[in-house]
Amino acid sequence: MRFYLSVIILFFTLQHLSYKAKSQNDGGPIEDFFFKAPGTPPNPKVTIHWNRYNTNEGLYEIYQKMVAAYPELVTLETIGKSYEGRDLWLLTITEQNKPGIEKPALWIDGNIHSNEIQASEVALYTAWYLTENYETNAHIRQLLHEKVFYILPVMNPDGRENYMNEPNTSSSPRSGTQPYDDDGDGVEGEDGFYDLNNDGHITQMRRRNPMGRWIEDPEDPRRLIPAPAGQFGDWDLLGFEAIDADGDGQMGEDRPAGYYDPNRDWGWNWQPDYAQRGAYKYPFSHPETRAVRDFAMAHPNISGVLTHHNMGGMFLRGPGYEPDLQYFLPEDLRIYDALGAMGEKLVPGYNYLISYRDLYPVLGGQRDWFHMMRGAFTYTVELFTRYYYFHDENRDGNRNRSSDVYTFDKYLLFGDAFVPWTDIKHPQHGEIQVGGFKKNYVRVNPGFMLEEEAHRVTAYSIFHAWHTPGLEITELSITDLGDGLTEVLATVTNTRMTPTHSGVNLKFSIDRPDYIVLEGADVVAGMIVKNRYLNQVEEQIVDPASLEIENIPGMSGVTVKWIVQNVENISITVDSPKGGVIRKSLE
Amino acid sequence: MNKTKRIIAIFFVLWMAGVSAINANEFTDAKASQDKLKSLAGQYPDFAKYEVLTSTPAGNNLGVLTLGRGNAAEKPAIALVGGIEGPHLFGTKLAIEFAEKVLGQTGNKQISALLDSVCFYVIPSINPDAAQSYFTSLRYERRGNGSPTDLDRDGRIAEDGYDDLNRDGLISMMRIADPTGKWMPHPADERIMVEARPAQGETGSYLYLTEGIDNDKDESFNEDGDEGVIINRNFAFKHPFFTTGSGEHAMSEVETRAIADFLYDAKNVFAVVSFGPANNLSKPLSYNEREASARIHTGWKKDDITLNEQISHLYNKHLGKMAPAEQSGSDGDFFQWAYFHYGRFSFSTPGWTFPDTAKTDKDAPKSQELNFLKWAEANKIENAFIPWTAIDHPDFPNKKVEVGGLAPFAMINPPANMHDTIIDIHTNFLLDLARMRPRIEIRDVKTEHIGRGLYRVTAEIANPGDFPTASQTGEMVRWMQKTVVRLTPARGQEIISGNVVEVFGAMGPRSSVKRSWIIKGDGTIMLRAGGEPTGFDQKDISL
Repeated sequence: MRFYLSVIILFFTLQHLSYKAKSQNDGGPIEDFFFKAPGTPPNPKVTIHWNRYNTNEGLYEIYQKMVAAYPELVTLETIGKSYEGRDLWLLTITEQNKPGIEKPALWIDGNIHSNEIQASEVALYTAWYLTENYETNAHIRQLLHEKVFYILPVMNPDGRENYMNEPNTSSSPRSGTQPYDDDGDGVEGEDGFYDLNNDGHITQMRRRNPMGRWIEDPEDPRRLIPAPAGQFGDWDLLGFEAIDADGDGQMGEDRPAGYYDPNRDWGWNWQPDYAQRGAYKYPFSHPETRAVRDFAMAHPNISGVLTHHNMGGMFLRGPGYEPDLQYFLPEDLRIYDALGAMGEKLVPGYNYLISYRDLYPVLGGQRDWFHMMRGAFTYTVELFTRYYYFHDENRDGNRNRSSDVYTFDKYLLFGDAFVPWTDIKHPQHGEIQVGGFKKNYVRVNPGFMLEEEAHRVTAYSIFHAWHTPGLEITELSITDLGDGLTEVLATVTNTRMTPTHSGVNLKFSIDRPDYIVLEGADVVAGMIVKNRYLNQVEEQIVDPASLEIENIPGMSGVTVKWIVQNVENISITVDSPKGGVIRKSLE
Repeated sequence: MNKTKRIIAIFFVLWMAGVSAINANEFTDAKASQDKLKSLAGQYPDFAKYEVLTSTPAGNNLGVLTLGRGNAAEKPAIALVGGIEGPHLFGTKLAIEFAEKVLGQTGNKQISALLDSVCFYVIPSINPDAAQSYFTSLRYERRGNGSPTDLDRDGRIAEDGYDDLNRDGLISMMRIADPTGKWMPHPADERIMVEARPAQGETGSYLYLTEGIDNDKDESFNEDGDEGVIINRNFAFKHPFFTTGSGEHAMSEVETRAIADFLYDAKNVFAVVSFGPANNLSKPLSYNEREASARIHTGWKKDDITLNEQISHLYNKHLGKMAPAEQSGSDGDFFQWAYFHYGRFSFSTPGWTFPDTAKTDKDAPKSQELNFLKWAEANKIENAFIPWTAIDHPDFPNKKVEVGGLAPFAMINPPANMHDTIIDIHTNFLLDLARMRPRIEIRDVKTEHIGRGLYRVTAEIANPGDFPTASQTGEMVRWMQKTVVRLTPARGQEIISGNVVEVFGAMGPRSSVKRSWIIKGDGTIMLRAGGEPTGFDQKDISL
């Protein structure tokens, strides 16, 4: 009886809460328990903890909650299976006013690299933020009215699973889990990491040695630093926890999941492993990359792409390979630079960089495929930077030498990220110690630092999506020419930065032209107006009702003109692969 | 019969018979080719196995016949790949009949013994959809597969294909008398069209186009027919991106991937021989240090060139004057992919090209077509040329338009009467090539008791073959199994010195290395050496 009573009380409490939440608006009276912080939904329908990471199952549960809460905004579908048979879940976020394929799209993915897990939470935050603000925020509402977001939080679910559940370092695995004979001895995966202290983290091994090369840092004895010149140290560093499982005189040289890099598996300038470490068999030879490829090929409306990685705080654009500079054309770089500058502003600590020049060369990468072969404006987003530990401008955020990680762990995480050195007997090394940073430290955001970064990157994503092509029919008029002939004039304006066809898209005819189609009259002649005041026109003789426009540049427009007869109800359809489909009828 | 006599005999036969250049009966279509492989596997179950790798966009099967006795996967293998280009039907025939001839000889001890130690993977066609055009009522030299493709990337698929204007069931050429044309009849033979050379005082008088109508009125002719992706332009080495028929990206087609997947799984392949336009057998490739040493190398490595020279020598020994014309490969082709990405020795030949021996006036324009026509007529090959006939063409209402030209397929495929001879020669060449395979032997095993239960074991690991165990590119790719030497002691035995397992770099042809171990304890140790591309050897050593 008491149980039922509490259920009923709980029910009414919840009812009350949600009622209160609905009635609360910005700047309104404090009605119950909380007061809205600006920019964040105070009482979201789907509650997510933004200070922890979710397993594949955890994410799936959240996706389902989002679908249940916002069925009119969220579609959940699987676009394929991973190597181990896990679904690749894609969230499509948009208003259902017309088919998604008829809207310009921003594609966001995360976790292509197994250990770069916060990429998924950041992508998820974007989906969550859009849905939770749709009702209350006019900008978001307009955005989802015009655009579609395709969000694949986890491209490599096998790797995520492995990273979280198996003993790993902060950098392993990068690959998925397909076996490969890394050491070439004819046996696959026979000698990987070995979790000596059985704590789920692969940390360092060290051995006391009076003639060693390392000493304890007097500032933080957990840390080893090189012995001063001319002096012996007290320790040998022996690498990550491993044993010689196969007796070949090497340790950890052939992990169960082979080394390969799903981000070297894409169809632009793919090169084999000897030229590009990590390449597999041929472009799209992994099921996960192939599934994304298939989706992208079927969705030419993808105009912008953000692929989330860690780490370093970067918006990286192509090319990944210097000779491809020739395909980053000035008209496209203007857009990249404008978007990149806004990225740097919205996410302080991030830099807008060029991959091959500022990071390292990458052949067969995802970003360059989307730029080169899909004509999409694409950035790799390298989440999290060590700069965030202490915001020290004088320190290069990515230098490993820095003791910041130790200091940060000591004073802000109170040692939670470190496995203290403990004695252990090693089958080959003998008496050693095992210890060091846990796998969830250094590369992924500490819990309290996740939400802000997710929000800022989402803000950038929203800006990028906003500036995918925004087509409007800004003028539609008719003039009677006499003799039963009528002139129809239409202007289509792109109100955003991104053109319907990037320079490289035009160069290689990646997408077909945009069509401006007239219906409701018999077309006698159709033409593109180059200069309406000087009557400079270009007639299209074949199929003049459907005028082919090679590109509608950003913040610009195109004017077309038809001579028609037998006018009934004139309507115009603009059908652009990347600019979407819009219609207008003459009143 | 020596080679000269043989060649004379061939020409005699041709001269006597008069051969038709295009005769549908001399080749087998996609289905019949696969059926043939299947029936061979049924007929010789101990030596052959048939497997379908994929079904093409047009629904043709793409299969492989494995020749070899016992555990084929552990024997050094040659992948024999025909039908590299759709119109080259002879390449398919060559592959199928090689298999048939070898299987027919399995009663011969030498052949059956060879099939105990080597394996052939015979893939008769990589693009059956394209080849199928030869067997349809409208025949043309089709290169693309059956996947719906927007060849001119204008947003419309297959809106402007060929049209059989003279209704002869063949797509040939058309010439249009037009003062703006850049083509002219060849001065030596008015039937052959050549491009006028203004610098030599020549002027054009014809437009010269493939047979058809400008169906979509875009002023290009036949630029987007119903053919799809050219598999021999779809491979990932130097993929000619965004060019006609190369696919949306490298390896985009099911055929391309099926071939690659099969070969990557076939770890025992040490050499690939393909029957296609490339030819590094009549003449070996040449070494270019800059190309061979770049990060993305585009030239063969030096030692691999040396082997190419050796194999080319063997090929020419078999072919003599019949050796076809050289050709070093094209972007996105199978031949180069097999070396640069798959990492195997890759050899290719079309099997035949017409002997280009015609003498032309040195001031006259050069024309392969003219030379071919001269050769065909000298050898009484009928129907090699479709006489120009005037037609009415809707796109050229008041102009003289003629359809005609060299018959499709004629220049690419040898006349039927030559087939058997060419196939025999290539079969013998391939069997000789297989005899040169790399292999691993454990030799000169010595054991010494060095006191107190300690033994020193010494052995030589040798490659007595004429091939290295891997090409130099093969050493670099991640999909070429290296030679592994592994010593497994019995229970109670311990290895005091020497490697339990050692992975070797490539071993050169006819080379060996010595290894020694110190073992503690009595019993039988097992020494095993090799890899799939060489086969394995094993010695049990009692101490």
